[in-house]
Amino acid sequence: MKFISWRIAAAAALMTAATIGRHAPALAGEPLGAKLLKETCARCHTASPSGGFERISEQRKTPEGWELTISRMERFEQVKLSAAQEASLVKWLADRQGLAPEEAAPFRYALERRAVVEAPDDADLAGMCASCHTYARIGLERRDKGEWLKLANMHLGQWPNIEYVATSRDREWWKLASTEIPAKLGAKWPLVTKVWTDWQTHQHVNLAGSWRVAGHRPGKGDYAGDLVVRSKGDDHYSIAYRITYADGTKLAGQGSAVVYTGFEWRGTVRLGREEMHEVYALSTDGNRLSGRWFLDGQDGIGGDMVAVRGANAIAGVEPPFIRLGKPSRITVIGSGLNGTVNLGSGIAVEKVLSATPGAVTVLAAAAKDAPLGARMVAVGKAESANALVVYDKVSAVKVEPEIAVARMGGNGGPIAPALSQFEAIAYTKAADGAPLRIGPMPAKWLVANFDETAARDGDAKFGGHIAPSGLFTPGPAGPNPKRNGYDNAANLSVKATVADAGTMVEGAAHVYVAPQRWVDAPIR
Amino acid sequence: MKSKALVTGAALLALCATAFAPLCVQAKEYILTGVKPNRLVLIDPAKRAITRIYTIPGGGSPAGIVTSPDGKTAYVTTNHTGSLVGIDLDSGKEVFHADFSDGDFSDVSSGALRVRSFYGLEISPDGKELFVSESPVRLLRDEYKVEDTRIAVYRTDGGLAAEPVRLLPLPRRTTNIMMSTDGTKLYANSWDLYTLDPKDGKVLKVDKILNWDRKNFAPAGVFNVWNQFEQAHMFVTPYYTARTDPGSGNPPTPRTGLLTLDLKTGDIHMNEFEDFSAIMFSSVLSPVHRNEVYSTFKTLTKSDIEKNILIKRVTLPRPYYCINISADGREVYVAGAGNDIGVYSTGTLKRIGEIKMPGGADMAGAWIRMVERP
Repeated sequence: MKFISWRIAAAAALMTAATIGRHAPALAGEPLGAKLLKETCARCHTASPSGGFERISEQRKTPEGWELTISRMERFEQVKLSAAQEASLVKWLADRQGLAPEEAAPFRYALERRAVVEAPDDADLAGMCASCHTYARIGLERRDKGEWLKLANMHLGQWPNIEYVATSRDREWWKLASTEIPAKLGAKWPLVTKVWTDWQTHQHVNLAGSWRVAGHRPGKGDYAGDLVVRSKGDDHYSIAYRITYADGTKLAGQGSAVVYTGFEWRGTVRLGREEMHEVYALSTDGNRLSGRWFLDGQDGIGGDMVAVRGANAIAGVEPPFIRLGKPSRITVIGSGLNGTVNLGSGIAVEKVLSATPGAVTVLAAAAKDAPLGARMVAVGKAESANALVVYDKVSAVKVEPEIAVARMGGNGGPIAPALSQFEAIAYTKAADGAPLRIGPMPAKWLVANFDETAARDGDAKFGGHIAPSGLFTPGPAGPNPKRNGYDNAANLSVKATVADAGTMVEGAAHVYVAPQRWVDAPIR
Repeated sequence: MKSKALVTGAALLALCATAFAPLCVQAKEYILTGVKPNRLVLIDPAKRAITRIYTIPGGGSPAGIVTSPDGKTAYVTTNHTGSLVGIDLDSGKEVFHADFSDGDFSDVSSGALRVRSFYGLEISPDGKELFVSESPVRLLRDEYKVEDTRIAVYRTDGGLAAEPVRLLPLPRRTTNIMMSTDGTKLYANSWDLYTLDPKDGKVLKVDKILNWDRKNFAPAGVFNVWNQFEQAHMFVTPYYTARTDPGSGNPPTPRTGLLTLDLKTGDIHMNEFEDFSAIMFSSVLSPVHRNEVYSTFKTLTKSDIEKNILIKRVTLPRPYYCINISADGREVYVAGAGNDIGVYSTGTLKRIGEIKMPGGADMAGAWIRMVERP
């Protein structure tokens, strides 16, 4: 099933924003979220001594976490809710029982749907929890030991085959899941924390106004532009973008966004022919949004974005690197920019090509003895640390994401293929010899068998193909008669070649072509 | 080998000539398996043709299948692991039905018990009792409470609303449950192999598998969900381990072995026969050449459990989960995970026939059983 999610929630909430929430006129004098808790959830969840409801009041999580919970209540317990009701419940719960920014920060990659290899900090928890879903999914929830134990009971009760699957059957799974693990989780990620207690006193900021945006879309390039935010009340906004890519492509579009827990921006917007979902975090001062957006139904394709407002704020520097000796155009995108551009020692600003409060473009040249590495960029009082990298030559190329999972799909089946966007990232050597990230560069792409087994099975022939932009499209789903009835699963290398002043530098990533994701979740 | 087969054949002939003559003359060998959605398929292997298709009432698809000793009734776990259904193979009618769950699921306060059965299903040799492994969970008002796994024992004459006549404790994560041929012992295949008393579930013996303390070997992994031992009365399953002694390689050399449990004597043996080179899901022993084991998944493997050697391995056209063998030991039938049964010569491992499931229906995880029917 497709989760209705905050994406639809954002739209549904937009339609009903006038009737819901803390600041809006409430139905029968009571906010809809509170009303639903009392009337729908309380059919099973009894009132707790603390004034909340059993189970519900004993957890904190992200908007996506609450969305998953509500979806489970609908699927497991036959709860019937409209999209607008779901949206208001998610909002109500995430605002009151969410995570503080510091708590969500280590695991934002899962919310943003980034292709990363996780690095769990606890092997026992990783072995128990992250063998089926991401470590982030657990790290984005807060409960005490007893409530974690109830979650363990739900797991085996709802999916009684868990203790039989390959990643758990070699251990006394239930014994661990019902004793050591809840205790460990309760100690590591408890319900009550100081950062959350502190964050609850934080006043929600009104985001209405004009913002400057800068970002980068792998496979397409850098972009910059404007975001206009209009308040609809109760943290609900309508939004409008006008952006221009470095290649000259201009896009405009509109959408809506909801801010949960005072800082979790979730937007849905249509730009050109594409619909995209935004997962951004708002800075504590309320003047900077940052995160990732991704295409509807194709979260392997997306981009980074930073939006800023007010005076002396830098959103991005494009391109974020400069080669020694070669005069280049460098644009600083920001808000309220005013003053001279300072690119640090050894970089001469030869000419100011254009200057507005929203962007300053200069022609700059790095002297042959300019210090290599990342440095601060300043425009008047506006500063951005590590915003520009000085390099002499490309010494290595890494392909990002380093490891990806693309998924077969289509071919008459109900699930579309899940594509992966790759990008060649150039590296140079810092003064101490350490690899220093320069940034994305154009590359020539090819797909190859990852190993001998892949070569024997013809994986490169069947697994998929890569476009000049680095966009990998996996093979069609289902049995392939040319593969003896096996599907197009494959183990592939994605290779990029970057030309740097006549020298070819190669890099590679690893992509698994896997079966469709039949069951999806807001946090995987 | 050949002479041994002849001797066995002669012995069978001698038996037919005496006390069991009527049975021998009339009984015919069939394959019984299941397909989606919720159907049993009876197959005449000699004709390579489907004899009859039975629709099982209710939802889900067949998983475990056992047949009564007289070959007249098949008992099938179905309804999404929630029910055991008996089908009369002559009339096609439902003659037995047990829903594992218990309670009023419309009342959130009633504490109903939701029960699922994973993999374990057995029938007593006298055909009077059925043994089903169960994983229960209590649905309380706003939480679930996992309860201990168990075996529910039903009488085969329990009718269409059968209730268990006793509940036996069962180690968690048990897959196969198997009964000794004399009906005095139950075997449960979990992390280790448990011998249980079928009367009360008392643990009579534990033979260590995962928890073995064999020097220089990694814990052995066994995972098998198919009962397919009716021809030779020997449960055989692949297991996987690795040599860990110094000098065995880094990473340690993975080894593949076969565990055998003689359902007549209770003897258990575990022996490796090769460095790991193919995944095998399940195995069957030849009832005629009792040293020959056939194992299936992406390959069909013939190995010798007396010499502990690989005899031959061929690649299968697709993966097959389960396997059974003809009473004369001449052909094996690979099944599951798709829509055809492949027939292979045990002598050559050549594909000598196949039986397509009706309408390309998927056998998925359903068992393949051999049944003698009048």
